[in-house]
Amino acid sequence: MTEPTTALPGDAVNEGGSILKLEGVEKRFGNLEVLRGVDLEVKRGSVTCVIGPSGSGKSTLLRCINLLEPPNGGRILLEGKEITGSMARDELDFVRRRVGMVFQQFNLFPHKSAIENVSIAQEKVLDRSDDEAQAKSEALLARVGLADKLHEYPDRLSGGQQQRVAIARALAMEPHVMLFDEVTSALDPELVKEVLDVMQELANEGMTMVVVTHEMGFARGVADEVVFMDDGVIVEHGEPHEVLANPREERTKRFLGLVLGT
Amino acid sequence: MDFILEYYFDFGRMIDELGPVLEGFWYTLKLSIIAGVLSLAWGLILAVLRQLPGRALAPVRWLTIGYIDVFRGIPLLLVLLLVSGFLSSASAPVGGELIPRSIGVPEWLGQPSPFWYGIIALTITYGAYMAEVYRAGIEAVPGGQMEAARSLGMSHGQSMRSVIVPQAIRKVIPPLLNDYIALMKDTSLVSFLGLIEVVQAGFDYQTLNINGSALTLGAILFLLVTIPLARLIDWMISREQTKTQRGGGGGEDLQPGPAPTGMVGA
Repeated sequence: MTEPTTALPGDAVNEGGSILKLEGVEKRFGNLEVLRGVDLEVKRGSVTCVIGPSGSGKSTLLRCINLLEPPNGGRILLEGKEITGSMARDELDFVRRRVGMVFQQFNLFPHKSAIENVSIAQEKVLDRSDDEAQAKSEALLARVGLADKLHEYPDRLSGGQQQRVAIARALAMEPHVMLFDEVTSALDPELVKEVLDVMQELANEGMTMVVVTHEMGFARGVADEVVFMDDGVIVEHGEPHEVLANPREERTKRFLGLVLGT
Repeated sequence: MDFILEYYFDFGRMIDELGPVLEGFWYTLKLSIIAGVLSLAWGLILAVLRQLPGRALAPVRWLTIGYIDVFRGIPLLLVLLLVSGFLSSASAPVGGELIPRSIGVPEWLGQPSPFWYGIIALTITYGAYMAEVYRAGIEAVPGGQMEAARSLGMSHGQSMRSVIVPQAIRKVIPPLLNDYIALMKDTSLVSFLGLIEVVQAGFDYQTLNINGSALTLGAILFLLVTIPLARLIDWMISREQTKTQRGGGGGEDLQPGPAPTGMVGA
């Protein structure tokens, strides 16, 4: 990354340093209620890790935040502006330019090389020139440790390398918030660390991050706030040493017992 | 036995009649190349219209689906007759000269009007076929591709143009070429309007000589084009398969699943 993305003109209007605020967010797919009133506040520059059993609505929550899935109820405020409601074109632009997302399956564009993957949206969306985008992409790929893979195509890269390209691609848009949706779950075990290292470094630089993860070690070491979700609601949240080590709720204890094998 | 051989393979006649048959085949080639290119483009436009997002654009989707259903479901010959009949009469006094004669009876680029009626009818019909092929390709691109593009702030149109359609086209080149072979063979229907393409040229000689060698010659000319195309399609398909088996395709082949690491720490 070329510059820290924390100092933003919108700072003044965000009371209490909150960059993202969810109030009673609901999401249904047909009869299935996936989110049943989620309240969440994310502070600027913080790392929020969302944990919970599969099917608890974690991924859907992320997808609601960047409006890939428009919520059916409740409000989402991004930098003080409500983004739920009309779903107008401007609103989508507002959100997508401020929120970056990295997916479990990487979703790199297979017909484009690493550097093209990172450059394409810079040119199409931010109207950067070819040279400008290339320079930015090169710097970002170097930052995630892929300076020697600029012109490789995704099918020539390992899963860990692909995921790092995907992170660089999202960072190229200079997002104010980064969403990570189980980004190490599709990786071979030996490739997980290289991706988590990049994420940790990002966190150290002050990037606001919401991370859905099964990596309890990462949550413990990097998160400022851990959120435990089950059955479409936030059951418990707090600092990692509270939620992970001394959970109050029965459901949290049971989940942690299962995943930590204690 | 001699009669059979002579009826189909009279090489003396073939050589004598080669000129006119080749002239007919030249029409066949021109028809199939121009109509082929136009159908490929029109089919892609239809496929993209069919995928437009949002409730406001639903009428466009329905119209497109209706168009594709209709023209896939009726014979090319029928379309050809309707198009040529309408255009020629609409530009004549009987049709109140609804459209200018240069469009109603087109003789562009020095080609006779049946040629252009054929181009129009072939494009209308094969555009519908090819739209369905493109659609299959678009739907075969994993949904995560569109999501990734949209999450980067690209619009639906930008995402289609730079991300989805290029991948879709790669997947459907073999079936598109199949449709192209079918289109090439169907150009013979334009003979109904009096155009002497290769089949009509051969048929004229058959009627005249009570001998089918000129038609055999036409068949050979077709095969000279279609068999290499068929081999090319096979080669492309097998290349695609080896690539997929090797694990290409940019991560689509990676199995989703729960964290394989066990949990770090404890």
